Amino acid sequence: MDTEKLISHARARFDHAAARRILKEKYEARMLFAYCGGMWRAGPDLLNVLAACPDESAVLLDLYDTPVKIDVRELELAAQQRWQEQMNAWLVEHEINSQKR
Amino acid sequence: MTTGALLFAFNNEVTDYVQMAAWSARRIRHHLGIPVAVITNSRNPVLSQQFDQVIHAEPDSGGTRFFEDYDSTVTWHNAGRVDAYALTPWDQTLVLDADYVVASSQLRFVLDSSRDFMCHDRAYDIAKSRYLDELNTFGEHRLPMSWATVMMFRKSNTAAYIFDCMQMIRANWDHYRALYKIQKSTYRNDFALSIALGIVNGGTWRIDSVPWSLASILPEYQLEQISNTDETFKITHRAANGGNLYLGVNGMDFHAMGKKHLGDIIEASV
Repeated sequence: MDTEKLISHARARFDHAAARRILKEKYEARMLFAYCGGMWRAGPDLLNVLAACPDESAVLLDLYDTPVKIDVRELELAAQQRWQEQMNAWLVEHEINSQKR
Repeated sequence: MTTGALLFAFNNEVTDYVQMAAWSARRIRHHLGIPVAVITNSRNPVLSQQFDQVIHAEPDSGGTRFFEDYDSTVTWHNAGRVDAYALTPWDQTLVLDADYVVASSQLRFVLDSSRDFMCHDRAYDIAKSRYLDELNTFGEHRLPMSWATVMMFRKSNTAAYIFDCMQMIRANWDHYRALYKIQKSTYRNDFALSIALGIVNGGTWRIDSVPWSLASILPEYQLEQISNTDETFKITHRAANGGNLYLGVNGMDFHAMGKKHLGDIIEASV
């Protein structure tokens, strides 16, 4: 690397826009989890569906459109925990990135 | 049922894929907790300490390819990937490119799924965070691309059909290349996999894909590891105004398409 390239490298600015998008990709992937042989994505959509289930058990379609018999409260708890854990981690990383120049 | 990772490592003129695979094997064991087998033509006795299983095979060249980071055309020993099904010692196998950097336990999700075969069907450029047509389609018809960088399969009829089909495509590459109007003559696993999945799924192009996109670092970007003990990788790329921009990637797997930069990181860590 020549001197000019080294200087330009040292003066590189933090890419806030790309970092935000990467965090979104990273944490959306981390919302995925396995339960009862099905694959699920934790988040408001799943939690709303579960909140609308009146009984203790239900049959839902997983990410791959496979019907899976689930315990509503168990899946709700797993989804809630996963969603909040990952959202908290997302916030922490977002705040660290916000301070970079 | 046994579960493990499978890596292919055939050195060429410029890249030490065996060293890359050994570095990758350590990361796979650490993050995913599964054993790693390597398919290689190297007879180095140290391999038995670096990998859980060593399977010897001769390299199968897919032709030559120009690599921007090396600024040269090198031999590409990639065509043996279609033999993964026959050669794997595991019941459930995670085939990874040696240049796929495992930096999280995210692939556990794929291992936990009950599907017989999974791979990525979408890749994006990590620095620009955009889905590129040239990464996600192939041939003049712009058919949807599937990526052979990460493949999970179980010993099953479905996986056997896919790999048999890939072998047929490799054996008749010129025919399939003409049929799908692929300009470059070099055989590519991603194309063979995409065509095979199309055939096996009856031309519907619907596959059980990994439900997140393959993060890719293009060869023209500078890739560095902050330190040997730090899991953060720094990517520097050129902005539209000519200045340099950088970003850090931590706890996230990615495909390092620039072999030279990854090779430099591994060299520094040895």
